[in-house]
Amino acid sequence: MYYKVSGVTGKLTGATAASAYSPQGLKPTVPSQAPPMIFAVPTKVVSETGSVAHYMGINKVPELQKIFQVFFKGLLHPKMKMTTMGLTIGGTLYCLMALYIAAQPRKPQ
Amino acid sequence: MAHQAHAYHMVDPSPWPLTGAIAALLMTSGLAIWFHFHSTTLMTLGLILLLLTMYQWWRDIIREGTFQGHHTPPVQKGLRYGMILFITSEVFFFLGFFWAFYHSSLAPTPELGGCWPPTGITPLDPFEVPLLNTAVLLASGVTVTWAHHSIMEGERKQAIQSLALTILLGLYFTALQAMEYYEAPFTIADGVYGSTFFVATGFHGLHVIIGSTFLAVCLLRQIQYHFTSEHHFGFEAAAWYWHFVDVVWLFLYVSIYWWGS
Repeated sequence: MYYKVSGVTGKLTGATAASAYSPQGLKPTVPSQAPPMIFAVPTKVVSETGSVAHYMGINKVPELQKIFQVFFKGLLHPKMKMTTMGLTIGGTLYCLMALYIAAQPRKPQ
Repeated sequence: MAHQAHAYHMVDPSPWPLTGAIAALLMTSGLAIWFHFHSTTLMTLGLILLLLTMYQWWRDIIREGTFQGHHTPPVQKGLRYGMILFITSEVFFFLGFFWAFYHSSLAPTPELGGCWPPTGITPLDPFEVPLLNTAVLLASGVTVTWAHHSIMEGERKQAIQSLALTILLGLYFTALQAMEYYEAPFTIADGVYGSTFFVATGFHGLHVIIGSTFLAVCLLRQIQYHFTSEHHFGFEAAAWYWHFVDVVWLFLYVSIYWWGS
């Protein structure tokens, strides 16, 4: 004997073996292989693109990148990161110390 | 991107979430230390750390999205969802203050004189500077839409001009509001009228400043060729935020300035 919970009464009721083994029913046509997975639109070769992205003016980004990396990367950004990490660690310690001191009972005035 | 079999962005390890969290710790504890011990050092430290975190985190995102190519269509979809959800949370934030306003103004207590505006309060004339402010923000909504269409059509000069005009209008609004605040015949301490007025319009003003800053960053990026006619989500996010700020003002104007006067 197989059982199921009746969708109508909410009580336990009898069921057939077929419905017990596959409660949601068998899908009539199930492909044996997974459907081909579709990722995002694959990168197209520029000559194939139908709607071309319009860049406004000539693209100066590569040469600006070179200037940027030579000048800034050497100087500004690594220093900024070190400063940030320093402030993070130092700030945390300062904060914990300040909170510890603040938690001490004060003398009544 | 060359060695992954999916279109999603597995972000490189980054210290900025940690530094941001520590900044929040320092700012909140710093606030408490300021209140009780009159020292602003900790809070200032937190603010500096917050600014550094914001600059570096968003700089990294811009790098990832532009020349590193990580912002594929599915990734961009996620970013869109994120921005929509964030703006929705801000809507709820303002809803709270509107609730407070309507709670007090629909049933004014005897202490207020049983009327709204309360006895002794001279409200601002809604048809003077507040109306100008409304026109300014509505115009800025037009100019930001103009900027969007310019970007989509590849019109570089127009995009820069309309975006700059939008920012100028935003700054004009801020200047006018600041002047109104200075000249107002009532203060935040003037009962529930003052509280609801200045907290609601004050937070709105803060959002105008944030929105103007976001648009200014977009202007810098537009000048530096970051946006293409197909891919400019940073700008779209800024435009959405700006429209949200505009809509909040319209509700503020109608509820607090006009109906509430």
